[in-house]
Amino acid sequence: MAYLSMGEAHRRITDYLNRFSDAVSTQDGASLKHLLSLSSNSPALLSLADALNIFQDFNRLIKQSDNDSQFGEILVHLFRAFQSYRIGNFIDSYQAFEKSANAFIQEFRNWDTAWALPALYVIAYEIRVLAERADKELASNGKSPEKLKGAGSFLMKVFGVLAGKGPKRVGALYVTCQLFKVYFKLGTVHLCRSVIRSIETARIFDFEEFPKRDKVTYMYYTGRLEVFNENFPAADQKLSYALEHCNPQREANIRMILKYLIPVKLSLGILPNDWLLEKYNLVEYRNVVQALKRGDLRLLRRALEEHEDRFLRSGVYLVLEKLELQVYQRLIKKIYFIQKQKDPVKAHQLKLEVIVKALKWLEIAMDVDEVECIVAILIYKNLVKGYFAHKSKVVVLSKQDPFPKLNGKPVNS
Amino acid sequence: MMNQGGNAETIAPLDPNSLENRYNINANQGQTPSYPPLSTTGSEASSWNIHRTDNSSTDNGVHSHSTYQYDQQPQPPGSSTSSLGTVNAPQDYNSYASYQHSSDTYGYGSAGYPGYYNNYQQQSNTSYSQPVGAYQNTGAPYQPLSSFQNTGSYAGSASYSSTYYNPADYQTAGGYSSSSYNNQTNAWSDGNYANYTPHQYSQYTPDTTAAYSSSTETSTSQNYEQHYKQWADYYSQTEVSCAPGTENISVTSKPNVGCSVPGATTGYQTSDSQLPPPPPLPSYAPSWRPEPSPSELPSVQSGAVVIGAHDGYWNHGAPASQSQVHHNSSMQQHIQKPMDEKASYDSFQDHQKTAFSQAPNMQYPASQQVPHASHTYQSPLQPVPSHASHTYQSPSQPVPSHASHTYQSPSQPVPSHASHTYQSLSQPVPSHVSHTYQSPLQPVPSHASHTYQSPSKPAPPIGTQRDNKLQIPTNPRITSNPTFGLPKTDKDSCTTTAAAKPAYISVSLPKPVDKVTSSATADSLLKPGMFPKSLCGYVERALARYKDDRQKAACQSVMTEIITQATADGTLYTRDWDTEPLFPLPNEDAVNKEPPSVGFSLQSSNLVSSLPKYKRSPNKRSKSRWEPLPEEKPVEKPASVNNDSLKFSWMNVNDKQRKPWMGSAGFKDGNTSNGKFTPQEPKNGSKITQKPFKKQRLSYVLSMVENDDASSDSDKEESLTAYYTGAMGLEDSPEERKRRENRSRRFERVQGHRAQNNHFKPKKAGGGNLYARRATALVLSKNFEDGGSRAVEDIDWDSLTVKGTCQEIEKRYLRLTSAPDPATVRPEDVLEKALLMVQNSQKNYLYKCDQLKSIRQDLTVQRIRNHLTVKVYETHARLAVEVGDLPEYNQCASQLKSLYAEGIEGCYMEFSAYNLLCVILHSNNNRDLVSSMASLSVEAKRDEAVKHALAVRSAVTSGNYVMFFRLYKTAPNLSTCLMDLYVEKMRYKAVSCICRSYRPTIPVPYVAQILGFTTSTPTNEESEEKDSEGLDECIEWLKVHGACLTVDNSGEMQLDTKPTSSSLYMPETDAVSHGDATLAVNDFLTRTPL
Repeated sequence: MAYLSMGEAHRRITDYLNRFSDAVSTQDGASLKHLLSLSSNSPALLSLADALNIFQDFNRLIKQSDNDSQFGEILVHLFRAFQSYRIGNFIDSYQAFEKSANAFIQEFRNWDTAWALPALYVIAYEIRVLAERADKELASNGKSPEKLKGAGSFLMKVFGVLAGKGPKRVGALYVTCQLFKVYFKLGTVHLCRSVIRSIETARIFDFEEFPKRDKVTYMYYTGRLEVFNENFPAADQKLSYALEHCNPQREANIRMILKYLIPVKLSLGILPNDWLLEKYNLVEYRNVVQALKRGDLRLLRRALEEHEDRFLRSGVYLVLEKLELQVYQRLIKKIYFIQKQKDPVKAHQLKLEVIVKALKWLEIAMDVDEVECIVAILIYKNLVKGYFAHKSKVVVLSKQDPFPKLNGKPVNS
Repeated sequence: MMNQGGNAETIAPLDPNSLENRYNINANQGQTPSYPPLSTTGSEASSWNIHRTDNSSTDNGVHSHSTYQYDQQPQPPGSSTSSLGTVNAPQDYNSYASYQHSSDTYGYGSAGYPGYYNNYQQQSNTSYSQPVGAYQNTGAPYQPLSSFQNTGSYAGSASYSSTYYNPADYQTAGGYSSSSYNNQTNAWSDGNYANYTPHQYSQYTPDTTAAYSSSTETSTSQNYEQHYKQWADYYSQTEVSCAPGTENISVTSKPNVGCSVPGATTGYQTSDSQLPPPPPLPSYAPSWRPEPSPSELPSVQSGAVVIGAHDGYWNHGAPASQSQVHHNSSMQQHIQKPMDEKASYDSFQDHQKTAFSQAPNMQYPASQQVPHASHTYQSPLQPVPSHASHTYQSPSQPVPSHASHTYQSPSQPVPSHASHTYQSLSQPVPSHVSHTYQSPLQPVPSHASHTYQSPSKPAPPIGTQRDNKLQIPTNPRITSNPTFGLPKTDKDSCTTTAAAKPAYISVSLPKPVDKVTSSATADSLLKPGMFPKSLCGYVERALARYKDDRQKAACQSVMTEIITQATADGTLYTRDWDTEPLFPLPNEDAVNKEPPSVGFSLQSSNLVSSLPKYKRSPNKRSKSRWEPLPEEKPVEKPASVNNDSLKFSWMNVNDKQRKPWMGSAGFKDGNTSNGKFTPQEPKNGSKITQKPFKKQRLSYVLSMVENDDASSDSDKEESLTAYYTGAMGLEDSPEERKRRENRSRRFERVQGHRAQNNHFKPKKAGGGNLYARRATALVLSKNFEDGGSRAVEDIDWDSLTVKGTCQEIEKRYLRLTSAPDPATVRPEDVLEKALLMVQNSQKNYLYKCDQLKSIRQDLTVQRIRNHLTVKVYETHARLAVEVGDLPEYNQCASQLKSLYAEGIEGCYMEFSAYNLLCVILHSNNNRDLVSSMASLSVEAKRDEAVKHALAVRSAVTSGNYVMFFRLYKTAPNLSTCLMDLYVEKMRYKAVSCICRSYRPTIPVPYVAQILGFTTSTPTNEESEEKDSEGLDECIEWLKVHGACLTVDNSGEMQLDTKPTSSSLYMPETDAVSHGDATLAVNDFLTRTPL
């Protein structure tokens, strides 16, 4: 960092103060937003941070500025946040920023219109990002990371400010999404429930009136929650909404949605095209899809094993594991077709041995009892129509549609 | 007592005159007592009730009077008053008198009036004792004062009154006192106001004119009584007083009191005839206090105003109290004056003025206002007493004390007068005023003290006046509030109050005056502050007569005329407004008049639905307020004083019962004012008083279940607020609320005890308002809860960490309910032995669990967290798993988790597997499952137990029952036990699946094998035997679950799947009353120790 003269530092600070008060006085949310986006690393803010680190007595400048007097609380802490951020002290930066944000909320409450929403968005975003960084720093110091939790409660407060009637309600969904991010990161997704309830039960505000990006984010997170609950039709609906409305240019976002949507669709019996997996770099699903297509249980198990960590982290492991039954179905179906080619008359009578042999060929060691159990489960779950004759150890398939397709319906549980 | 002492000290320095000082002290004491009084009040209330009853039996009027006087009583009095009228009045008076006496006593006692006081006290004491244990209790804490008060009023009001009166008389003047006192007493007991008025009047009369009192008294007293009743005690009183003042001023605009006027007059007469004014004083004091402020001027003028005043009082609690104080002071002054009749008048006037001006700021005032006030008041009082007072005033006026007098009178035209008189009698000195007020919890005492003071300190009067002025500010607030008429009043009051505050601080007369004026104007008694108190009282009285606004308006116009005329011919200040007959009601008024009481009540009702309540409360408040106020005023720290006074007043205001509080507050204030002006002092004082209160509380509580008026300051405020809000919108301006809250908070912070005391007091006072009581009770409970929670939070756990000394290896578990006793806690080495003992024990799980829990407890209280701790928890967790005690297992598992996380070694893998199995089998939460799977380290995944657990998970999620039961057979460690808990479910699922998939039948032995009843491959005879047992078990199980079994040709048992698929059901497990079928009843019983 080049040496900065006091005069220059002074100039930069007063310039910032002037811009801040101008933005507030003209109710220019867009300009204000840029003045608050700490993590944007914009040159202006970086140079301001440098100036602040040189010109420590910025309190005086803030006080001097008449227009800013009522925002002194905001600015003092904001400047401290800038300072700490600049020197990489995210813990202090977070703390200062939270104070500043609290002061901002106080002011925001008093503004009748929603002009400052862009700035509030920035604050909601910054506080979350800062909290994450601060937690990282805390964790590396061996302390318990708690800032994100604090950011969560702050955002809850912001949500309270926005959730009522009036023009500010438009901003509620953005804050909700930030809250989702916090809760998912903290693993406290159960906290989402109250927010979701207040969004979905509010009759005074139609969901479609929210900004599209917020709607997409919201649908993405609620879809993920449905995946956890293994409510696949609902998850499919929400994630599909998110995919449809997502900005097609945002491939990363689309990938995130597909990461959950693909397993959901798979469990509904809908397989993705390979190019889709290629395009969005979701190759971890490729083998899963292949296994489903081929009835290759071994491939599925390998794929699961291979990506176990990833699948566990994203929470789709259990969903994918449940695809095994579909793989069994596919396998038996294949056997059925082969048998049909050989002997159409007796095609609907599948000998258990054959299945055991096929599995053995797949290097999966299962004895007759186990396979019998699997077949029973397939019949029980309506993946196979027919019955099992224990005495003769034969699966008797229905002559009509012995392997019903799921067609978007979940497997019977 | 401490308070008293403190007060005395303070006072002494402050007041040049020893007498005054003493008075002050006394007053302070009285205040202290007053607290008790409060409690007493509570008791009084009860006693009052009783009295009322008595009165009612005897004469309603009397009862009502008593009620009025006592806040609690007020309401009852009102009713009683109306009904009984004159006859009762005496009784009421008695009660009042006694109250007053008590206060007087206090003041006197300390002053040297002792004799008198003693008399009073004795009387009061007796009465108190008679009244009830509650009284005694209160009395005990408060001691003399409370007891006096209580007794006086409650007990033999007559006797008391006589005694009290006598003292009063003594103080004031032989003749006056005795007669007046007696009268007063009677009056007090009857209706404080009424009585007071009469008394005052009488006193005045005596001084000025016997004629006034005598002639008017009767009627007045009656009227007053009625008024009082109507008003609810204080309100009515206030109104009355106001009426008097008003009458003259507004003239009777309504004559508020007009009704009261006549009443007033009569009252005067009564007082004259019956007893001299002294008794009145006391009652007045209380009533006045409330009234003054409110009525004081403006408010007084119109019934509405009055009400407002009352409301204001209530709302302003502080103001009210101040006003009360003022009244007291005025009373004192009056008393003093009585000594010089004029002086007393002056004091009254002053008081009035103060009250009026209160807000206005003492500054003005003191002298000027005073005179004015006094004049005004007098004019109101005019009827008779006022005239007298006027006369007095004029002479005295010059003196500041006059101002104080004026104030008093203003506040409550009649009562104040009475009180004034008393005061003058008892306490010549102004400081007295405050003192008086204080002591006054019951006007009388304060009056007495005042009187004394005045005599002792001629000069003091001025000081007093100043004090009064100071007080006035407070009063002003109150006054202003009251002044505004009911509706108006509220608003006005708010404003006024606000202004008043500033006024206090700045002592800017203008504001207060303006306010006053405005209020006065509004009411017809435009400038209460400017008018003699008696006039104000007159106006109040006049206005009090009118129920509806039209009448009031008419009354106001009439009063305006009268006042204008009086001003024009220069009789404004010379006329005895106290005795001035109320002008006939204009038109409708006439009708109303006849039932002045009714009218009042109507007015009150009209004005505010809650008026009655208010009235009651105002009365109480006023008393206490007054007391505090005077003290505060003297203090000279308007702001601080105001606050204090406000607080106090609030307290009072909240509940009539609070009067005691007010009194106490007043004492505190008085102390402060005397010695220390610091606002904090009040707190101290309160604290001091608190102790007594507490003691009393118990008794009170016991005796006074009903009394709820008093609550902590905050509580009071809350209750008041709620009250007001609910019932009336009068003074509930946000500002006021805030103020109140702040005030109350202060008290709360500084004096938690106080609050409690207050609560108690209110309870005692409770007799008055049920609503108030309830509110108070609620508040109380809240407070208590708060206190409790705080206490818990404050526990220092570190200090509770114990080093055990117990050497017993075996110890039963007992959940700690207090700090552990080291003698029963085993040190670590003993715990180790205990663990070994448990592990090797052959006893059942319940015993082991009990022992392990006690070991865990000892570890916990000693904060031992090491390998031993892990061992203990592991041991316990295993035992719990073995018997399927999942709740206990979960406790141990969560502890183990944190212990492992701390790096303490143990069987981590084993318990990881258990935890996994627990999540899989028992929590059915996919997110938890995924996260616990994700948290497994690679190492852990290689562990046999963990692997097994993961395999189980897979089997469960896929529904692979064959796999599940194979894993069940091969489970390591205690995993089998955990799986045991899931077996039933898994078997049922499996059979459901089999029945759906298999056709036509499936051999039962096969089912038994795959469902884990038998091993798949019997290898020897032993296992065969087992298998046959397992088969039987399986058959039994299938039968129990509704399966359809057949036997095929080969004699093999078959499960007929088709019918079974529809008949299968999960049998309800045998319900056991203690919830655990595996637990024998005896074990269950031993498990729940003692």
